[in-house]
Amino acid sequence: MLTAFHPLPKLTVCLVWIAASVLVFDAGFQLAVIALVAFLLVAVERRSPLLVIVLMLPFALFGAGFLTTSVLFGEESAYAERMAGEALFGSGAVAPGIVLFLRAVACGMVSALFALTTDPAGLVKALMLHARLSPRIAHALFAAMLLVPDLASQAQQIRLARAMRTGRPPRRIPGPVETASLVVPLLAFAIRRAGRAAIAMETRGLAGGRPRTVVGAPRVRRRDGLCGAAAILLLAAVLALA
Amino acid sequence: MTCAPPAPDSAAAQWRGVTVRYPFRGADAVGPVSLELRRGERVLLLGPTGCGKSTLLNALTGIVPGIVPAHVGGEVSVGGLPAAARLPSGWSADVARLFQDADQTLCGLRVGDEIAFALENRAVPEPEIVRRVTGAMRQAGLPEAMRDRRVATLSGGEKQLVALAATIAQEVPLFLADEPTAHLAPAAAERFRSFMLGSFRARSFLVIDHRVDELVACFDRVVVMAADGRIAADGSPRALFRGRYRDLAALGIALPAAAELDALLSDAGLAPARPPLTVSEALAGIGLGKAAAAAPVIRAFVDDRTAPAGAADGEPVVRLEEAVCAPLFGKPVLNGITLELRRGEAVAILGANGAGKSTLGASLAGLLRLAGGRREGPPGGMAFQNPENQFVAGSVIEELADAQDKALSPGDRREAARRDLHAWRLDGLEDLHPFELSQGQKRRLALATLAAARRFSLIVLDEPTAGLDARGIADVAALIAGLRARGRAVAVITHDTGFALKACRRAVIIVGGAMLADGSAQHLLSDPLLIDYAGLAPPPIAPALSWLERHAPC
Amino acid sequence: MDTSYRWTLREILIVAVLGAVFAVLYLGWVQVWLVAQAIFGAVTMDVVMGFWFIVSIIAAAIIRKPGAALLSEFLAAFVQVLLGSPAGLLLLVTGLVQGAGAEAVFAATRWRNYRLPVLMLAGVGSAVFSFIYTWIRFDYGALAPGLLVAMFVIRCLSGALLGGLAGHLVVKALYRTGVLSGLRIDHDLRSAGA
Repeated sequence: MLTAFHPLPKLTVCLVWIAASVLVFDAGFQLAVIALVAFLLVAVERRSPLLVIVLMLPFALFGAGFLTTSVLFGEESAYAERMAGEALFGSGAVAPGIVLFLRAVACGMVSALFALTTDPAGLVKALMLHARLSPRIAHALFAAMLLVPDLASQAQQIRLARAMRTGRPPRRIPGPVETASLVVPLLAFAIRRAGRAAIAMETRGLAGGRPRTVVGAPRVRRRDGLCGAAAILLLAAVLALA
Repeated sequence: MTCAPPAPDSAAAQWRGVTVRYPFRGADAVGPVSLELRRGERVLLLGPTGCGKSTLLNALTGIVPGIVPAHVGGEVSVGGLPAAARLPSGWSADVARLFQDADQTLCGLRVGDEIAFALENRAVPEPEIVRRVTGAMRQAGLPEAMRDRRVATLSGGEKQLVALAATIAQEVPLFLADEPTAHLAPAAAERFRSFMLGSFRARSFLVIDHRVDELVACFDRVVVMAADGRIAADGSPRALFRGRYRDLAALGIALPAAAELDALLSDAGLAPARPPLTVSEALAGIGLGKAAAAAPVIRAFVDDRTAPAGAADGEPVVRLEEAVCAPLFGKPVLNGITLELRRGEAVAILGANGAGKSTLGASLAGLLRLAGGRREGPPGGMAFQNPENQFVAGSVIEELADAQDKALSPGDRREAARRDLHAWRLDGLEDLHPFELSQGQKRRLALATLAAARRFSLIVLDEPTAGLDARGIADVAALIAGLRARGRAVAVITHDTGFALKACRRAVIIVGGAMLADGSAQHLLSDPLLIDYAGLAPPPIAPALSWLERHAPC
Repeated sequence: MDTSYRWTLREILIVAVLGAVFAVLYLGWVQVWLVAQAIFGAVTMDVVMGFWFIVSIIAAAIIRKPGAALLSEFLAAFVQVLLGSPAGLLLLVTGLVQGAGAEAVFAATRWRNYRLPVLMLAGVGSAVFSFIYTWIRFDYGALAPGLLVAMFVIRCLSGALLGGLAGHLVVKALYRTGVLSGLRIDHDLRSAGA
């Protein structure tokens, strides 16, 4: 259901929520954000709860780093004491760390929500139509995205060829040295393709500064405005409660 | 920048004394060329690789010098207007260009967006765009359901059809095509042919191609360029191929098989009155009662285009038994493959695009672990579809030295590398980076590195003829014969049935995830039902093979 | 000498594909980093951070026009958004910040000097801007000053080496393959050599 909304208001709303999460140093608020996103994903978008947990994981790992740093190296300060007094959790050093941890997860969840409910083509077309994104950059992005699967197959071929030379079969995940040796051939492949794509796109009429039609761009509907307003109101309500 | 419409009776495209020279080069890339394409003409442009055919097309819409810097001499005009009158992007309303490997230059995320791209750039209103896209999809044979599919999920053949549809949707009076049938799918070539034949007569076509046999009957005129970038011949196809066959053959360009047969029949006094463009035509023109006289000529023609018999069966080199083949970290694509290769043998692995030929090749070479079944034999070498993927060194000589036997001293390795350089005709290229070589040179270098590593008794070649002209293809066939003579087993993955016949005695056909047939190449490739079922195009000499069956079986 | 600052479509596409290639590489590098981060704490971020700056340095060294560093980091982040990376939105901001840091250094040299010291300095520039941003975002004010100094120094070193030096080596190797012919880097190197 969320995918039906116009991407630009959705983008603005998500950015506003992320900004709020960064500015509000309160564990309760961060928890509320996480719960809200989880609710939207599971109940409204009907994704599995397992997906939500898997998504939270990298952000949790990221946040855990701040938690440990804060615990190990946190400065005792009046500010931290005050936070500890108001927060649900114990010692003065742990509380800011917990907030940072929760904040990392909260921001990540909002960002993930946006990623899961937005069609990339729709987003770029909306930007072309309303945000004056240059069509050259927009189509360059499309062409670059179409390159990615071919990069994967080229990388596989290169790894097979190296395996042939050394006589050892390739591992599932390439090690750092192997990845480093893949960078230049893959970049050469990509840059050559970029040159040919540029010629082809320009021959088909792509030029900056000329008016052009955008087929299939998402249309702004009344409900986009309504939901955007609802999201901001919700944010204000949660802030007031926290 | 003018937007004047072209004058009604001017040529569709014209080059007058045109030369193109790229920066930092000592010689012209092409020219001087004077050529005129009249309105409604269908012209086929032939020539060896590197002679400047694509450059000539680039000069027409101002890609050269507008996008690719170069010095352009002479005059180029489209519909009476000079090419420089508009920016390269300004010509999209009058000229459509189907590029080589167009499936790699797509820029829309969904099929519908891709086809609409050129029309969007011209600010055509949306309802009109939708109508034209529907029409173009129908002409290219794409089902309507494909409109919203993401381009990234399409197969290579489907992407080519989408690229074709995108150019059809432009609805322009001048259509330029750069190797439209160098595809891996005969379906795309067939679609292009029917589009060309079905177009309004006012639309002009200029097509560059190397695979002439399928298309040649559709063209009014053939223009041949020589390696020095000048025009060597220009005329109607029938008269040109009969009258100038020997000179053209000496230029090393692709000629229709029928032209060679016609020359041989003419020498024997058996040629039909009207110069033939297809082998069937040439055979049909042999008079009644002349079959006995024609038989040796036709046999010589066929023998020239099929692989010579090798030495008696060598010992087995590699064997797959009930193998289940899967790409790297992917799901299995082939089941129950039982295949054995012997020394001195060349086997062609044929199948439609996406059938799993590359996976089979890599499994044969032992590079991919089997998901089931067994493989017996030493590891083999593989020359990949993109030869750049096997280069690791920074210069050609280093690449060759690296491939030599590790037991030798560095000095000996360098010596051996120099010898190989000469043997594989790569002289003068020692210090270039391997990526800077031409396609044919890259393939030779890849093969040289494989051949130098003596431990490979099996060598698999993946689409070795892609991007090569007739001389390059003949080179590869000779190289394969050389490898066979030195006792190696060779497996050739290809979709080109004519080349498969030329290089291999034996063929294996892959369809639907299994091996459909394994036997004599000549035998399998003369079976039209089998070929059609496998999604392949019949070899040009197929009619000659069946003629011999009927008139002179032996 | 061609002084036009207008970007050709080829250059825009090159920056976009650079972004795509590094978006994929970054996604891989992130997995390794996250596990280390959970164990060793926030300092690992500073050690590996330099790699995140490499795309802006490579793009600037190849294209040599104002805005190359900034645009490439932004596009790399935007490609990740389009590819559906969950961290996409967050990366947009960090990408802009890091790109701005490198761009500032190139602006200071008036976009004319792309030798190794300048590239390494650009890596440091990205590190500085990034440090300021993460200070605000992750509340560094609450951490011990000794740790902060160590993090800053490590990040700058990482930027100079994993960003600047590695970027320089990649560009050199790329140039040898011949795919960069016709771009400003080719023009500069040929006129310097001629």
